[in-house]
Amino acid sequence: MTMSRNVAIVGWKQTKHTACSEVCRERMLYELIKEFYADLGITKDEVDTMVLNSNDFQDGRTISEVYPVSWVGAFNKDQTKVDADGSDAVLYALMRILSGNYDTALIISYAMGGSEFRNQAIMNYTLDPIYERQRGIINELSASALQANAYMLAHGLTENQLAAYAAKNLKNAAKNPFALRQMADATPEAVLESKPYYSPLHELHGYPATDGACVMLLASEEKAGQWTDKPVWIRGTGSCQDTYYFGDRDLVKVDALRKAAQSAYAMAGVSNPAEEIDAAEIHSSFVSQEPIFAEAMGLFPEGSGGKVIDEGLSLIGGKLCVNASGGPQGANPFTTTGLIRVAEAAAQLTGKAGDMQHPDSKKAVAHGQTGICGQHNTVFVLSTEL
Amino acid sequence: MAQDHHNVKAFVPLTFGYNYRVGAWMEKYLDGLSEKKILGVKCPSCGKVTVPPRSVCGACFTKPEQWVEVPPEGELRTFTVGRVKVAAGEIKDADEPYVIGMIKLDGADSLLSATVKGIDPDNLKPGIRLKAVFSDEPKGTTADLSYFEPVE
Repeated sequence: MTMSRNVAIVGWKQTKHTACSEVCRERMLYELIKEFYADLGITKDEVDTMVLNSNDFQDGRTISEVYPVSWVGAFNKDQTKVDADGSDAVLYALMRILSGNYDTALIISYAMGGSEFRNQAIMNYTLDPIYERQRGIINELSASALQANAYMLAHGLTENQLAAYAAKNLKNAAKNPFALRQMADATPEAVLESKPYYSPLHELHGYPATDGACVMLLASEEKAGQWTDKPVWIRGTGSCQDTYYFGDRDLVKVDALRKAAQSAYAMAGVSNPAEEIDAAEIHSSFVSQEPIFAEAMGLFPEGSGGKVIDEGLSLIGGKLCVNASGGPQGANPFTTTGLIRVAEAAAQLTGKAGDMQHPDSKKAVAHGQTGICGQHNTVFVLSTEL
Repeated sequence: MAQDHHNVKAFVPLTFGYNYRVGAWMEKYLDGLSEKKILGVKCPSCGKVTVPPRSVCGACFTKPEQWVEVPPEGELRTFTVGRVKVAAGEIKDADEPYVIGMIKLDGADSLLSATVKGIDPDNLKPGIRLKAVFSDEPKGTTADLSYFEPVE
């Protein structure tokens, strides 16, 4: 499979993510988009199509794109919505441009999980209502803990090593001006002293409840140059769905992510991701998912999670930088998280990552997930070169 | 921007619920529980046995119609000790630590999530043999399979 056209990420903008936004979501979106258009020098008429991304349960409204029409500037415009992860909104926007019918697509994603809805309620509503929800045993936290322990039992990752993953991301988040949970002096000890949830997971292995938003503009090769001299090309993409039922899945192998990544690499002509990819942004809601997902994406050898963290291979400046932004440990506005992963990967490639910058990043990979423990996965390979 | 901080909130409850049909396969599973039996189905294509039964094998896209009663025993595969519980979307402290396991029942290929009792959390390890404990008076609900405990 190849792309029928070349499509670039030409720009993006995120809010400073917070636990409780100072403004309502309508104003948050209006101001973010107005500032983004001004930064980019684009008018709303030059945006051919808009892809909103949220979730009806998070918004508390049915077909919830109906309500922010005015504030996002969608009135009388071509506009649709993706209810899954923000990465899928990127995929949809990409496809609209690949169709040949559009040259520009704006992705708008937001969540008010810090102050307006309960993240765990949203996650519970993803679970099988007939069995798991009746039992009340599996929730996002317990499921992620069972997954974490499965990896640790299979590959010998220790609790200290797992905590070191969290410390790495929280320190990275301190370099990220948009992150909510920032801990420049994070240590594995501090992670293990944080509130225990389900063993081996503590509060700081997870994510802060977050209010935030992100927008991104994609454009065809023909138009991209109008708004940027540093286009980031979407060179490959793949997405794959695992089975719904938690007990029927291999939580350590995560075949659905494996297949999504393989599709993306095949499209992008990447034959050896561990050597060819410089930086990765992974939607790991809990740090235990970072080695699991990185390995499923072929970025590190299977079962090498302990070695990777001990030897600093995934640090900024390491062999293959993972979540320089701090990942979801720094901020996790639900569904927006996947769009932020794509934005942060693009930032690495354009040299816009500031203190988070991983040197000499030419090719990056971004990942988003929907469901618990990586049920559905979407992967992008990004490059500054065509 | 303190003057811009607007924090008046309108509380909007969602108060309705759903009445899902559980489907014939799950009805049969629940009937089995009411007789203290654990039933699964075997896929005619890949041969995998899933518990609870799936009316379609996702991997093969076929309909498993061969019912299999699996013994109420199996082994622990992965586990966690809960210090919190999630209630109505809020994370709250648990009254006391509790163990959740993913259990591979003998003869099944899928894992079953369950509470595990009667074992010191410090002694948890994969491979421990566990047996199901049923309600004294099962009613044909998922709660009939109360928990698992170590095989003596």
